[in-house]
Amino acid sequence: MHRAPATPRPWHSLAWLAWALAAASAVQLAPSPVYVALIVGIAWLMVEAHAPDGPYRSAFPILVALGCIFGVVRVFMAALTTHNGLNVLFTLPHATMPDALGGFTVGGTVESDIVLQAAAVAFTVIGVMAVFGAVNTIWSHYELVQSTPRSFYELGVVVTVALAYIPATIESMRAVREADRARTGGHAVRRGRIVRSILPVLERGMERAVSLAESMDSRGFGIRGPARADIEAGWCVLVALVALAVGFLALVGDGPTTALICGVIGVVALVAGVWRSSRGVQRRTYRRRSLQPGDWWLMFAVALSPLALSAISAAGNSTLAWYASPVEWPRFDPIVAIALVPLLAPLARRTTIPARVEPATAAPDAVVAAVIP
Amino acid sequence: MTGGLAFEAVSFGYPDGPTALAGIELTVAPGDILLVVGSSGSGKSTLLRAANGLVPHTSGGRFSGNVTVAGRSTRDHPPRELADVVGFVHQDPEAQFVVDRVEADIAFGLENLGGSPAGMRRRVEEVMDALGVAHLRDRNPVTLSGGERQRCAIAGALVTTPSVLVLDEPTSQLDPQGAEDVLAAIARLNADLGTTILIAEHRLERAAPIADLAVLMTDGRLTSAPAAPEFVLAEYPGAPPVTRLGHLLGWNPPPLTVRDARRRARAAESVIPAAPTPDLTAPSGDRLLSARGLDVHLGDLPVLHDITLDIHAGEVIALLGRNGAGKSTLLRTLANLILARRGTIDGTAERAYVPQDPSSLLFRPTVRGEIAETLRLLGRRSPEAVDHWLATLGLTELAERHPRSLSGGERQRVAIAAVAVGGAPVLLLDEPTRGMDAASRHALERAIATHAAAGGAVVLATHDVELAARCASQAVVLGDGEVVASGPAAAVLADSLFAPQVAKVLPGYLTVEQVTIAMEPA
Repeated sequence: MHRAPATPRPWHSLAWLAWALAAASAVQLAPSPVYVALIVGIAWLMVEAHAPDGPYRSAFPILVALGCIFGVVRVFMAALTTHNGLNVLFTLPHATMPDALGGFTVGGTVESDIVLQAAAVAFTVIGVMAVFGAVNTIWSHYELVQSTPRSFYELGVVVTVALAYIPATIESMRAVREADRARTGGHAVRRGRIVRSILPVLERGMERAVSLAESMDSRGFGIRGPARADIEAGWCVLVALVALAVGFLALVGDGPTTALICGVIGVVALVAGVWRSSRGVQRRTYRRRSLQPGDWWLMFAVALSPLALSAISAAGNSTLAWYASPVEWPRFDPIVAIALVPLLAPLARRTTIPARVEPATAAPDAVVAAVIP
Repeated sequence: MTGGLAFEAVSFGYPDGPTALAGIELTVAPGDILLVVGSSGSGKSTLLRAANGLVPHTSGGRFSGNVTVAGRSTRDHPPRELADVVGFVHQDPEAQFVVDRVEADIAFGLENLGGSPAGMRRRVEEVMDALGVAHLRDRNPVTLSGGERQRCAIAGALVTTPSVLVLDEPTSQLDPQGAEDVLAAIARLNADLGTTILIAEHRLERAAPIADLAVLMTDGRLTSAPAAPEFVLAEYPGAPPVTRLGHLLGWNPPPLTVRDARRRARAAESVIPAAPTPDLTAPSGDRLLSARGLDVHLGDLPVLHDITLDIHAGEVIALLGRNGAGKSTLLRTLANLILARRGTIDGTAERAYVPQDPSSLLFRPTVRGEIAETLRLLGRRSPEAVDHWLATLGLTELAERHPRSLSGGERQRVAIAAVAVGGAPVLLLDEPTRGMDAASRHALERAIATHAAAGGAVVLATHDVELAARCASQAVVLGDGEVVASGPAAAVLADSLFAPQVAKVLPGYLTVEQVTIAMEPA
């Protein structure tokens, strides 16, 4: 038996998946802005403590920024289309859509309670994005792929490779911008700049994709189709995922019976999938990292957080959620903050980040990477 | 098991394209290193891709003939089924990593082919040692230098114990140190494991000496039978300077290395006229730009310290120095793309900057359109200027082609034309000869000379001392963000450990052209 590699990542990626699920559930269970802000802070701490060097470090700020954009759009939409609030801030000119288009009114009165409520909801989205962004800077996508049944391996690799293109594309966009400015001796010509920025990035991406495909093909990617057991295991897991997703929706949508049935189906299918997969042909995985006792402990610890929050919620704690009417400051209850403490469990170990070396100037993209802090 | 490779009557044309390979007959004996030489677009890459079936399985197109590797025909086996007998390494070190951790990426090929975990484990360790990348195992490939990345990519290709390794311009994107490391690793592999190696290269100074045999390709044909590289390269314009020198002086066979050439030169001392006194006069043109005491930071990282530099009309300044010495940063500061923390840049002369990677710039469907685009952005129209720059950079015949269909060197020339056409007197070129073949290099050198003669100035950041020797009038060497040497190119370059090859053989001379001129009256 071979020892797992001494990677700079002290926790298994599946443990991080558990952390992300726990943190995201915590956002859902305690959507009041105070608690969401705490969870965003915890996510940021995780990035600072555990994100290894590399292009994914920027995933956290980017996803949080995306969440903010979404939030702003949401607040605007709500302000313009929802009109049953109490405290009118100001009134805009309005137009009512024909019935065929829903018959709602755009513009008109803008109420403070509607705006605040929409902002609070938008903030929970930012919270979920922060959690998702944090795990993406930390975990190894390939480690996750290796943990899936063999029949998902090919698909998983393709997704991993596609994800790697996101930071590369952002770097490439910067280089193209700069080249565009340099072309005219430093004057920025705004007209047509989008076309000039996007086309080279796309074309370069295509060229790279072709060489990567050639390289993967030359290294034997996709040489064997999955074995029968793998296909069956794959189907089981697929059924499990769908059932669990439907179950989750039913839970949110107040259908406890459906949720229970789907949940049971999901768990059974998942167990069957894992069992079938382990019975199948020996997977040829190089130094696959298995879950260590520490990883199990972490998963157990972080699960305490949503469990505690559920208990607090069942006990009738009124500070968990916040409503904008009547307008008042969100209230803070220390017991909720204590329930969030298990989410800090990953800090129990430290990430040793390999020495950061000077990026090579031989590769243009690396130069750009050095410029972007 | 035979580790050889055989091409029998191989012809190929890309879909809707002209013939790329015509009647190739070639056998590579097991354990040989075969160097494929030829200008851009001569079919080198296509030939290499045919060795593991990427041509025609991935490319499509019309294929005839037969390629056999280790007894398997590429007609019946797609590349993935040949992964255990042929390893393939691409010129772009960035576009071949699948996994974000070096060790796991190296193991990728083995995971695909299968094998016992213990066998895989041992194989990966051995391959990492063979390429000297074991200390990089936990790193993300994108954080590595170009040379390190390319060695990791070779390790990934080699992990399946292929008997043939195919390398398509493995060092063209690398700096001299990275190239040196990669080629040394290749030579060691061949010596230790007996791997048959098929390698295409433009920069032959380092690649030619390690090759057993070389072939020359022109327009999809082999124009020479496989022979020792010194014979094949004797009359090739892109041959290493010492080889061209040897050919000029009638040494037969011409040398491939400086060491070899020195020995021959000692025996032939009487034939070579004494070196002319180099022209060390100070620049006389008008001062176009003058940078004083520049301090530049990238983020929080100090990159340049107290740089002082004058640019006069008619000058060609070569900026030399290792990776990370601050060459690109200095050019970008001069181009007003980065603000200096301290110091001033005086002078009103317009400057135009061409980045290292020409693909950042190109987006029009034709070369002509690309060059005209710059004028359009500046609100001018001047077909004459476009034609002038097409001609100056030797692009007239390519004017209606799509820039993306061109080779790296041709693209680089298009990018230079597209920037220079704006009429800025100061041209700032970053690493302009990366991936260029001899023809492109000559066209570029001519264009640089023309621009300087017309009262402009050119600053080029380069690793290529041969380029600096041929076209620079001034040389500035940067080290750790400071100027460590500057002055007339002849003086700075001759007095260096990294002098051009000719200077190492015949002190006093820098280029083969100078020797040619000195020999003429005799």
